[in-house]
Amino acid sequence: MSVLLDVKGLVAGYGAVQVLEGLDLHVEEGEVAVILGANGAGKTTTMRAISGMIARKGSVTFAGTDITATAPNDIVKLGIAQVPQGRGTFTDLSVEDNLRAGAYIRKGGDSVDADMREWYDVFPRLRERRSQKAGSLSGGEQQMLAIARALMSKPKLLLCDEPSLGLAPIITQELFAILGRLNTERGLSIMVVEQNANLAVKIAHSVFVLETGTIVASGTAEEIANDDIVRKAYLGY
Amino acid sequence: MGDLPQYIINGLAIGAVYSLVALGLVVIYRGTGHLNFAQGEMALFATFIAWWIYDHGSTMWFAVIVAAIAAFAGGAIIEFGLMRPAGKKSPLAVVVVSIALFQGVNSLTTLVFKRSTDGVPFQSLFPNGADDFVEIGDGTIWYYQDIGVFLTVLVLTGLLFLLFQKTKIGLAMRMVANNPDSAKLSGVSTNKTLMLSWGISASLGAVAGAMIGGINVNITNFTMFEIFLLSSAAATLGGLDSPLGALVGGLSLGIIRSLVSSYPEDWPISEYINRSTAVAVAFVIILIVLVVRPSGLFGSSRVERV
Repeated sequence: MSVLLDVKGLVAGYGAVQVLEGLDLHVEEGEVAVILGANGAGKTTTMRAISGMIARKGSVTFAGTDITATAPNDIVKLGIAQVPQGRGTFTDLSVEDNLRAGAYIRKGGDSVDADMREWYDVFPRLRERRSQKAGSLSGGEQQMLAIARALMSKPKLLLCDEPSLGLAPIITQELFAILGRLNTERGLSIMVVEQNANLAVKIAHSVFVLETGTIVASGTAEEIANDDIVRKAYLGY
Repeated sequence: MGDLPQYIINGLAIGAVYSLVALGLVVIYRGTGHLNFAQGEMALFATFIAWWIYDHGSTMWFAVIVAAIAAFAGGAIIEFGLMRPAGKKSPLAVVVVSIALFQGVNSLTTLVFKRSTDGVPFQSLFPNGADDFVEIGDGTIWYYQDIGVFLTVLVLTGLLFLLFQKTKIGLAMRMVANNPDSAKLSGVSTNKTLMLSWGISASLGAVAGAMIGGINVNITNFTMFEIFLLSSAAATLGGLDSPLGALVGGLSLGIIRSLVSSYPEDWPISEYINRSTAVAVAFVIILIVLVVRPSGLFGSSRVERV
């Protein structure tokens, strides 16, 4: 396996406030990497820095290309799709237009329509509500839509920012099951930041623990699950 | 008021001009969330460009098309050079800059086109002789001039609708309007999209200017003041983010205005009713609509579950 996303010495923040202080992490091709961290650890900042939504220093390399200075709308063209925190659907657009929006970087035509049908099969609720405005969907449906929208860009790497936020436990379980299947059945590489550590670690290959802007522990999912300190702090048993 | 159909017809042309300026406001509002206070004055400058080209021996159609293209470029440059840098400072800076533009572009018009302070004759795009009308129904007449303006605005609104709903550029514009961050993450260049919105909006303004010039057969540097006031009212009435709202809002105000202006002299309080009363009545109606429906007649009151 080769390294798909390699982040070294990432420094980022908001204005004068520096949140990330030299963060290192990587995602191997075909694996699920999970970043665990409490509120304020810098999880969302990490995501936004990788996708170029905020100014960043250090180095971010994706599939061999340095993307540290690349604009977000160009990063998605290279194959990184991000599902931002709070779902990030286009609430005034129909479900179908949301999926078309996700395919914005593609030429369009038959293959887009075929992909849309495919994701409707994975998320049948979206097919039922295809002409409804996305804003009228339930939280879980919107999260599914946000993921389907991101997948419409045919990414090599899917970034998910706290997909469980505000969702009922049963929906969260369903969501992680789908993310797991996207990885095992389609070989999609995924990076998830989560507070809901138990569910996330189940589908993870590697785990990074983020505290106040730096990675304090990392390893395979098994290693992390067996690490007493991390287990007590994040897995709660 | 036996001539009611006639009064309604009379209001359609000026109402269509309000609609067109309002459409320009809606296009920018959707992209940026701001009302462009300079919309009317930008249109004024473009209209004087059209006049200048016509005055130098071209046809009016060619002059208006060139002016609309120039306006497109001007709008895009204003977004890139003024609004974007201002937007990085604060939302309030954008409002201040667009108010400054309102004054600045008007002054620029008088500076570049010195005759604008006295007014210049403006050739209509449509036949506007005393006999150029059709009779519809018994005794109601509709001038070709007014039909031309009305149809032009309908066609432009239709094209804009198709652009928004059926093209990829339109999809990008709707994405940026609804969620700029997700638009970027989906690969849309928000900067280019906003430049495009400003360009389109300015072009619509240029056409609106040519329409009002043709109706008044004259333009001065004051022509757009009242038009802008009523057009922004029309956009508010229709819902600031709705192209259909702009169309309906503009036409309604045009008709209201025509009806109030035609208030019969033998009715009560007629001595208090005159041309400017129409504007006041229009604003009272808007006030009532906004109290009942704050997002305007067709504006989206955001349905959002979180």
